[in-house]
Amino acid sequence: MKIFNIINKEFLLASRSGYEIFMPVVYLVIIMIFFNISISYVSNDIILELLPLMIWISCLLICILNIETIFKEDYDDGTLEMFLIKKEGIEIEILAKILSHWILSNLPIVFVAPLVAMILGLDLTTTLTLFVTLLIGTPTMSLIGSIAAALTISLKKNKILVSIIVLPLYVPILIFGTSAVNNSFFNMNYDTELLLMTFLFFIFLIITPLACSKALKISLD
Amino acid sequence: MINSLIELENISLSRNDNNILKDISFNIETSKALNLYGTNGSGKTSLLGIITGMTEPTAGNIHNFSGDDRLFEKIIYVGHKYGIKANLTVLENLLYSADDSKDKISRIDKALKVYNMNNLREVLTKNLSHGQQKKVSLMKTLVSDSLLWIIDEPYSALDNDSITIFNNTVNSFLNHGGSLVMTSHAEIKKSLFSIANYEINK
Repeated sequence: MKIFNIINKEFLLASRSGYEIFMPVVYLVIIMIFFNISISYVSNDIILELLPLMIWISCLLICILNIETIFKEDYDDGTLEMFLIKKEGIEIEILAKILSHWILSNLPIVFVAPLVAMILGLDLTTTLTLFVTLLIGTPTMSLIGSIAAALTISLKKNKILVSIIVLPLYVPILIFGTSAVNNSFFNMNYDTELLLMTFLFFIFLIITPLACSKALKISLD
Repeated sequence: MINSLIELENISLSRNDNNILKDISFNIETSKALNLYGTNGSGKTSLLGIITGMTEPTAGNIHNFSGDDRLFEKIIYVGHKYGIKANLTVLENLLYSADDSKDKISRIDKALKVYNMNNLREVLTKNLSHGQQKKVSLMKTLVSDSLLWIIDEPYSALDNDSITIFNNTVNSFLNHGGSLVMTSHAEIKKSLFSIANYEINK
């Protein structure tokens, strides 16, 4: 199946999944509302310093929440078996699935999170940095999470295990992401952080399709 | 003369010191069906997994005599799980399963007609009965160019009319040079179509 077909199919299925498609954004907004309420007694300067970090942590947790579903439906309905019979091109198709998942689950957050930050008073430069770090960081998290999701796909309740596997791997992205936003907030250079995040993205872009295809085959064996 | 497509030679499979399959050898022949039958847990589905390449055998070899290196990529596999999306219509499921060929739509139309499902083409498969879902999964065999169908228990969940339709499609497929590997719990009558039965004992 061509990549376009996979993406098209995933979008069609998502459009029929009802409200679930909006859940990541809803979670983000809920977390930010509660965050704002719970620290309303703290001075505004401190809130603004903490805000991008809080948004980053929220996005990370939301990414973990939905990543285990990436291959699950295909596994449950048997389409994954048909998909894995092909010997060639599986890696490209896996990338297409991850891309669809990222566009549907994480890309809305990438756009909404900076908007929320701006509404809560964050300056434009830091907001833009937040946007860029999320734009690089969330696909990397999707790539990493896909490996864990593939490894645990045959388990009925794999959500906790996926979280345990991916959390340590998400730490460098969180550190670089929050550090870049923090440096931007204090008008410091953050090129190194962005460079390291981009490096991580490309590393996992190469590793993930191969690792996922192997992991899925092992899981189905 | 035997026209062998694939040969399985001394295939064994074990998991955690449990022998699932031991020294299985047979040929999958062109224009002929092969029925792998046996009791529950005898390893029929595992053997299909080995043929499709999803499962690595512990020992033994698989030889491809088809002359087509991409034979295994073109296998149509219908397993216990039907491989159809509940939130897609019958037509959409077939469209996404079909090979990208010019006559894709006409093949799908034909498959829908053959299985008497034309009136259900726009229905989401989650709203179909178990048997109708099985028919959608079997229709996938008709919308591809595959030379080899591998079907796990094709008769389960089908009514008598659908069984007859399936037998007719198999007959036509075999007459056009295709091969079928299927599983069941009993021998299949040789009068239905050109078929060899192979019993799997654990």
